[in-house]
Amino acid sequence: MPKVYITGLGFITSIGNDRASVTTSLRELRHGFERYAPFAGPEVPVKVAAPVRGFQMDSTDPEDWTFPKGYTIRREVLRGMSPNAVYSWCAMQQAIADARLTPAEISNPQTGLYAASGGSPFLMGHMLQRMHQQGVMKCSPLGIIASISGTLNFNLVAHFGIKGSSCGFSSACASSSHALGFAYDDLALGRQKRMFIVGAEDGNPDAILPFASMRALSLQTDPNLASRPFDTGRDGFVGTGGAVVLVLETEDEVARRGVTPYCEVAGWGQASDGHNVAISHPDGHGLAAAIKLALAATNTPAEAVDYVNAHATSTPIGDTSEARALKSIFRTPATRPAISSTKAITGHGLSLAGAMESGFCALAIRDGFMPGSANITRLDPECEGLNIIRSTLPAQPRVVLNNVSGFGGANVSLVFRQA
Amino acid sequence: MVPNPDQPTGPEAKPFIGLAKTFTPEDEAALRESLKRCSPSTFEAAVQYRRTGNPEHVPAVVIGVIERFVEPDLRVKLKEADDDLRLIDDLGVDSLTMMEIVVLVEDVLQMTINNDELRNLRTVGDVKLFIDCKIRGLPLPKPTKFLPVEQIVAVMPIQPPFLFLNEASVSSSGANGKYKITGQEFFLQGHFKDNPVMPASIMLEALGQLGVLFLLEGVSTEPGKVVSSSTIFFTGCEGVRAHRICRPGDILSISIKPKRTKMPLATFEGAIRVGQEKAAIVEEFTLTFGLEDAATAAPAAQLSDVPRPTSITGLGQIANGTGPNA
Repeated sequence: MPKVYITGLGFITSIGNDRASVTTSLRELRHGFERYAPFAGPEVPVKVAAPVRGFQMDSTDPEDWTFPKGYTIRREVLRGMSPNAVYSWCAMQQAIADARLTPAEISNPQTGLYAASGGSPFLMGHMLQRMHQQGVMKCSPLGIIASISGTLNFNLVAHFGIKGSSCGFSSACASSSHALGFAYDDLALGRQKRMFIVGAEDGNPDAILPFASMRALSLQTDPNLASRPFDTGRDGFVGTGGAVVLVLETEDEVARRGVTPYCEVAGWGQASDGHNVAISHPDGHGLAAAIKLALAATNTPAEAVDYVNAHATSTPIGDTSEARALKSIFRTPATRPAISSTKAITGHGLSLAGAMESGFCALAIRDGFMPGSANITRLDPECEGLNIIRSTLPAQPRVVLNNVSGFGGANVSLVFRQA
Repeated sequence: MVPNPDQPTGPEAKPFIGLAKTFTPEDEAALRESLKRCSPSTFEAAVQYRRTGNPEHVPAVVIGVIERFVEPDLRVKLKEADDDLRLIDDLGVDSLTMMEIVVLVEDVLQMTINNDELRNLRTVGDVKLFIDCKIRGLPLPKPTKFLPVEQIVAVMPIQPPFLFLNEASVSSSGANGKYKITGQEFFLQGHFKDNPVMPASIMLEALGQLGVLFLLEGVSTEPGKVVSSSTIFFTGCEGVRAHRICRPGDILSISIKPKRTKMPLATFEGAIRVGQEKAAIVEEFTLTFGLEDAATAAPAAQLSDVPRPTSITGLGQIANGTGPNA
């Protein structure tokens, strides 16, 4: 089977809208949180979010939206887009430039695109409200394209002329890792030569606040304390949005084009909890099984893993569950890998999480650092014995694991290796 | 004092029919929001229409709405007030943009447009005429008819090698045609020596041929009668000017509009362009024609039911559920 490499990255995130600023934020643990203005009212108990900067997309009319300098989107392209499609469109531009792909290399039957977002609850809500109030024929003709959860693949496949495999993945917070895993399979099986993997979310009030009633969001008012995975004081996650795009290519393409990849995608594993619609298995059974399968699929002994980018979102139950899963895999204290959750600085990107953190892993491997797990003042006793790093280590990891867990108990673990 | 037609005042004033509802300040606010990306004059025209129901304001609203959805670099074309501007080819309006235009027009003019009514709207003039008919409660105009060369040959008394139309469209307001100068035309061997140039007289002939096609396809006559193809002849022309030398490879865009039609004479104005360049204009030319009984006419009329090979706007596909993938 051909090896698979990451050759391009694009970032629109709460910690930076390009690779350089994201790398700096990761190294220096600069967070993207703020007292989010739309949450200011007394009726909203949640106060902190990690918004993307430089974009203004709070109107339901896309022609009102503004973007950072350098990005222009024609009206006929914009009219079918959600905010997360706009983020991903910009991240695509970066990833294409980063991978130095020509138009012919983007648009051909050997190049596909897998995407994941939760759609746009914001635009869906607006469209349904308009439909109920003004009539069935008064909705925007492209309202459905802009709002349902396939909006990313609909828009990107059409506008970038993608001719290979295309699909959207829907497993909540595991979605974009599923997209990456299945893209790896298509490349390893020789079905495609190149795949774009896109994770994105609106990250606006309508995307974040529905998690409040299930008590999943942090009610902290201090942006410096709201997201603290593995800390005893954690009280829920902080919502974020944005988009990350990864370009995956087979070793033949990497050699033919003469590009230097970030790292190898060695393989992946997935397993499900079969336990609860929204809550992780208390002992992390599904996640542990996913990690085991990923390590077995890539012939990686547990001792070889240098760094784990944990899913840990800063919820009391989820972080404990993951800590137990990690302890069940990495049993030898002397060889336990460095572990951190970068959600301590980015917030939780939902469908975006897997792609975003896989992008971080690629940066860590190529640039030689392991980002610390910020905001831990009192480590949860459940994590005793795990090597959770509080600050960034300037060492280059050779083998990296990235975990995600989604609603319904879906768990995905991806293995990345130094190229 | 000139009475304002929009302000019915005394008891003798006749308000326009069509709009039953009164126009409230809330309606005006909603209208302003709907038209916020249109020119102020579009909004003003819409307000006048909604207040009075006077259909004279409708064209300005329709053009303003189309302009709002056309890419900025193409908007200048709308300023030329050319009813022959084609929505797709000239203005880049695709079928989804057409839906956006329809939704906004419906909203602003408080009317309903069905999908199948949209199928034949190809030019700005088609749209204006269609909406005007809807608003005034008149029967909808006969749709523009498209004729490929096979159909032109079947209808016309003029035949190759002296036919200078490759394709044509005929509506009640005029006709458009195209002819590509191939270089194989027999007369180019001698016009001129080693220097083939389309004769201006042949360009005038092409305009006349389009006039013949218009008479055969577009003119409504007495019941039971049709224009007889063997009775049409050229009688005269005025104000003929050639502006551009046309050579092999050039595609002539030929257009005519009827000025007067009164048995047995039909007078047209005509113009030929190559791309955006004016090639020739004729201020007027006149054809004479006669009628015959429809029953005895040549079977060419049956060909008019030949379906168009491709959907022009794609709207038909949406209406049939075969357009966008669900």
